[in-house]
Amino acid sequence: MNREISVNVHHLTRVEGHGNIVVDVRNGELKTCELQIVETPRFFEAMLRGRAYLESSHITSRICGICAVGHATASLRATEKALGVTPSPQTVALRKLNFHGEILDSHVLHVYMLVAPDFLGVGSVIPLARTAPNVVLRALRMKKLAGDLCKVISGRHTHPISMTVGGFTSFPKMGDLEELHQRLIAVRSDVDATVELYRTLPLPQFERDTEFVALHKPDEYCFIDGVIKSSDGYEYPIEAYRDITNETIVPHSSAKHTRHKRESYMVGALARFNVNYAQLHPRAKQAAALLGIQPKISKPYYNSAAQVVEIVHCVEDAIQLVEQLLTQGVRYEPPAAPTRFSGEGVGAADVPRGTLFHNYVIEDGKVVGANCIIPTGQNLANIEADMRALVPTLLARTQAEITHALEMLVRAYDPCISCSTHLLDVRFEG
Amino acid sequence: MPNTVILALGNPLRGDDGVGAAVLEQLGRSALPKTVALLDGGTVGLALVLLLNPYQHAIIIDAAAMGEPPGTWRRFSLAEVCLQAHDMALRGTLHYAGLAEALLLGEALNMLPPQITIFGIQPAVTTWEIGLSNAVQAAVPSVCTAILELLNYGENTCH
Repeated sequence: MNREISVNVHHLTRVEGHGNIVVDVRNGELKTCELQIVETPRFFEAMLRGRAYLESSHITSRICGICAVGHATASLRATEKALGVTPSPQTVALRKLNFHGEILDSHVLHVYMLVAPDFLGVGSVIPLARTAPNVVLRALRMKKLAGDLCKVISGRHTHPISMTVGGFTSFPKMGDLEELHQRLIAVRSDVDATVELYRTLPLPQFERDTEFVALHKPDEYCFIDGVIKSSDGYEYPIEAYRDITNETIVPHSSAKHTRHKRESYMVGALARFNVNYAQLHPRAKQAAALLGIQPKISKPYYNSAAQVVEIVHCVEDAIQLVEQLLTQGVRYEPPAAPTRFSGEGVGAADVPRGTLFHNYVIEDGKVVGANCIIPTGQNLANIEADMRALVPTLLARTQAEITHALEMLVRAYDPCISCSTHLLDVRFEG
Repeated sequence: MPNTVILALGNPLRGDDGVGAAVLEQLGRSALPKTVALLDGGTVGLALVLLLNPYQHAIIIDAAAMGEPPGTWRRFSLAEVCLQAHDMALRGTLHYAGLAEALLLGEALNMLPPQITIFGIQPAVTTWEIGLSNAVQAAVPSVCTAILELLNYGENTCH
């Protein structure tokens, strides 16, 4: 088909940060297909240099206002590994619970406020509030519970204040945990309604085989620590993250691209679902069955469905963790102390948008080198590969329809563009 | 049970955007009726709808770009002001949802308190710094006085 198409979406909406989609088809041949990242780098790694090790998690949690707990957690794990700190079982449980709060908060925002309007025939959540107020109210209710969970565990909704190297500086009260437990039980009906809603949404069936990468543990659905596992059968210790990420610079993006053995790989909810399906809570597996998905699913628009499955999992696992804390009681514990003040460590967490790595070198208690690799950066090459495969299938449609399909594709990845732009490492040799 | 909430919005790390928090702090030192709750909403976004919902009257304090000299403040009701809500269908990102978007959402959901009073204060600087400019700092006492008068005498006070 001799079709000429020029898609130029300047500042894509309903994603975090600023990115452009540029697609150029000449004589039916795809010439350009880019997701341009136009935000400036933010220099967090440089900011860490020279700072005391205790400050790292508080500084890096500011990389993102959505996955602040994720950054703080990966940061703390990097510092703890560098300095030989082993957190207690109670610390591990509290961190997992806090993490669930953030996954819920972020996923509810994405599936309801950012993705659902595309399928419910409205431009944004505000007209949706007029046509389907119960849907929007449910989302606000679930988001509030998620934020309150984070506040109970780490002192505030965003940018956790009581998480520190080796443990916590304050602890949730039993009464707060009991109230949280009741609210988590009560939210199950909202969770079920979320699954029902997504059963009815006509997610595009576009499919492209790719490699999925996530953190993995044999005995739990992994969000923190574990090993790096790929749907192509590769497995690496977290310390070998560079063997997966292989960051490269591309001209049209201020965020670096990554690739493993193929041209690209995907991280995020769909990747976790594919890699760690066996470890999902039974109710989450039921939800997946209702949504008609099972591993390995290679339909990128279904990332939102995988997020719904994770909403179910996180609520159920949060209930179990709160029950465990209520049964055992929460003890005051001083943070576990460093066994050395110099060393290198890599922390990893599978945050809402995918696998996040923080790598620090610490000397005499001060950070001297830092590298943070953010999920959206890892997904950029995969999004572009999807776009290259998708565009030729859309040539019969109008330009507006093509543009909308591409916007929805990028949005499905829930990209966090501000987070993914970071310092290009320029070295002069001479 | 309080039926009126005084809600400060804004980020004290952004210069004069912290004016709401400064007004709230000064009001906290005043004798307030038991029916009044003070709340620092910070940069709450769309969840503002849930924060306001339990109250009959919401008094919202926020920095507002009104094209006036810095430190100038005005009192509006929701009906009196055409808020420059960004077109979310076009601009779309909820990551920057502010007061205008939250009020639009609350209106669409029919969840806003029956009475909303907004105190808007014109900022001088909203760059990354802590502390208010002299002009905005000087406005804080008169905003507090106006809010106390509003609480004591109702909407008929003239400003």
